[in-house]
Amino acid sequence: MKQPGPEKTIKEKKIDEKWWQDWERKGGWTPEGWKIVEMNDGPTLNSLKPEKFLVVHRPHGSVFHHSYGKVSQFFMGLLEGKLYGTKCPKCGLVYCPPRAHCFNPKCRLAETKWAELPKKGEVHSYTIMVIAWPSMAHLQPLVGAMVRVDGTNTCLPMTMRDIDPEKVNIGLKVNIQISKQPKGDLLDIYATPAEEPVPPKRTPEELKRFREDMEKTRAWVKKTYGKVVS
Amino acid sequence: MEKKVGIVAGSISRFDNPRHTLAEEMCAEAVKMILDDVPDLELGDFMKKGYACCYSYFSDILEQQQCMHWIIHDYLGLSAVPAYRVESGGATPIDAVVNAALWIRSGMFPAVLVVGWEKMNELPIQKVNEAIAIAGDTDWDFVSGFTYNAFYATMEARRMHVYGDTEEDLAEISVMNHNNSLENPYAQWPAQHGFGKITVEDAYKSRLISWPYRQYECAMTSEGASALLLANEELTKRLTDNPVWITGVGFGTDTMRAGDRPDNPAWKGLYPEDEKIWPKSVPKPMSPYPDLCNFGSLRVSARMAYKDAGIKNPRKEISFVEIFDPYAGVVLAGLEDFDFCKRGEGKDMLRDGVISRDGELPCQLSGALTAQGHAVGSTSIAQVVDSYWQLSNQIGKKWGAPGRQLSRPKKAFIHGHGGTGCQAGVTILEA
Repeated sequence: MKQPGPEKTIKEKKIDEKWWQDWERKGGWTPEGWKIVEMNDGPTLNSLKPEKFLVVHRPHGSVFHHSYGKVSQFFMGLLEGKLYGTKCPKCGLVYCPPRAHCFNPKCRLAETKWAELPKKGEVHSYTIMVIAWPSMAHLQPLVGAMVRVDGTNTCLPMTMRDIDPEKVNIGLKVNIQISKQPKGDLLDIYATPAEEPVPPKRTPEELKRFREDMEKTRAWVKKTYGKVVS
Repeated sequence: MEKKVGIVAGSISRFDNPRHTLAEEMCAEAVKMILDDVPDLELGDFMKKGYACCYSYFSDILEQQQCMHWIIHDYLGLSAVPAYRVESGGATPIDAVVNAALWIRSGMFPAVLVVGWEKMNELPIQKVNEAIAIAGDTDWDFVSGFTYNAFYATMEARRMHVYGDTEEDLAEISVMNHNNSLENPYAQWPAQHGFGKITVEDAYKSRLISWPYRQYECAMTSEGASALLLANEELTKRLTDNPVWITGVGFGTDTMRAGDRPDNPAWKGLYPEDEKIWPKSVPKPMSPYPDLCNFGSLRVSARMAYKDAGIKNPRKEISFVEIFDPYAGVVLAGLEDFDFCKRGEGKDMLRDGVISRDGELPCQLSGALTAQGHAVGSTSIAQVVDSYWQLSNQIGKKWGAPGRQLSRPKKAFIHGHGGTGCQAGVTILEA
């Protein structure tokens, strides 16, 4: 028998300990405020009566120290601007997102091999997020695409840039871009069109509604963040 | 083995946001209604007579409380009684019912109390969305920039491309759900928005969330609780003269990540009839069923439940259906996955009026997730309760809306699922 450790750090971008300690102290369950509210309540709309409730505002936060395990190579690749997937030596399925073990029932959880992938793919399906995560709200309306990376048997969800939301469609060829300042998660990846997009068919009413929705969204972004991005 | 599982009573503490009432208090309200309906049931019987409890809530994060069911169980005065919690994302409440039914069939417990709830107003809305979205793969789905709405939206966009579902179809489902909820005194939509009917135009005016989905086509976030008392045949007949039977249960699964479904060797050849239905204009993936167009876990759970209940022709034999529809398009996909029609034809059942309130196969009579509400751990239990009231002719009494009682329904199909269809469950009820 051998011991597996101790763990050696090979390369590191350190977390700002002071920033975290300030956050941790604030996010430690202590109420930062409260309110007393009155509202009708009861188990059915036929049995309501007024009640008073005390509501406290109780913050809570944390930092997770998360290992990417045996698919770490994918994320180490992103730090170098490269896209990696895994391939099953038995059945030949290519995974991106990668799996360290093949999920083809015939392959009895065979261990896969790493392969560098082309930064090209095709839109398998898409959406236009008008409400995105708060950290990406300035990019609304934001296209989300399920992208099948060329040569793989899977789809990788990612956002798209440099595309008119009206024109994104299933089958669109895309280039996969990796952020110049990668942070080490999937948000380092996004797609841009690799060809002139052919928009999906919309009725005149659908198109009118769609354009109004996009205009409303862009106006909100401009009002909130001062300028229209993309 | 005990084959017959009876529903002795069911109850709902209404959906709303906020409720402010604590989870244990809402659960107590629900269980109290069951005790009112079953005068011969004593909470002290649970330990003396060997009954058990099965609890259902989805998230430890939404209430900042792990093992919330221990609080509930204790609050109900049931400490010492055998119990555990079932958790499988959005499928939590349906799987809790399935689990309780299987417990009774095993002969281990003569009666099982199922209690489900959720509190979804404690966190800011984006954190609620986050608490839901981390039921997706946090390394590969959640941090892609996709919201959870976005995953369902890509699936519906795929259906539009492959089958020709339209924005109008989605709006029509939303109208059906909302208008079905208006006489439901447990529903969140009328509690918040009043009792007037909505139209397709109203649905179009609701804000776009993630194209093609608009606000009225997405589930509400809710607080509420519900309970069901299940028992074996002998005890059911002793405790009620108006029983309904759970004659079929099923559950199934699919990949964690929706993106892994188009070329999945585990699905290739499972449903050859469905694989044949594919338009020539779209490149055919390796496993064309379910791809991103359908929910394979729904198919697996439904076929298991049909076999269990001895149902040969679901479209003919089922009287009405409650589909778990966090997004309107799940109704269209579900109708196909549950064998009520061929794949791609869900929209035709909608357009032909088959699933409307007075149609041949009424769906979403409660208003379902977009209108009755979606307090996750309570959602499907409440849909089972609504369906139980229909089958036991109690809608007049329980809703105060006798006009909403179906005429002599025989069998109900209730479905629930979690994730992007990662997990699904079904119960079939018979009068």
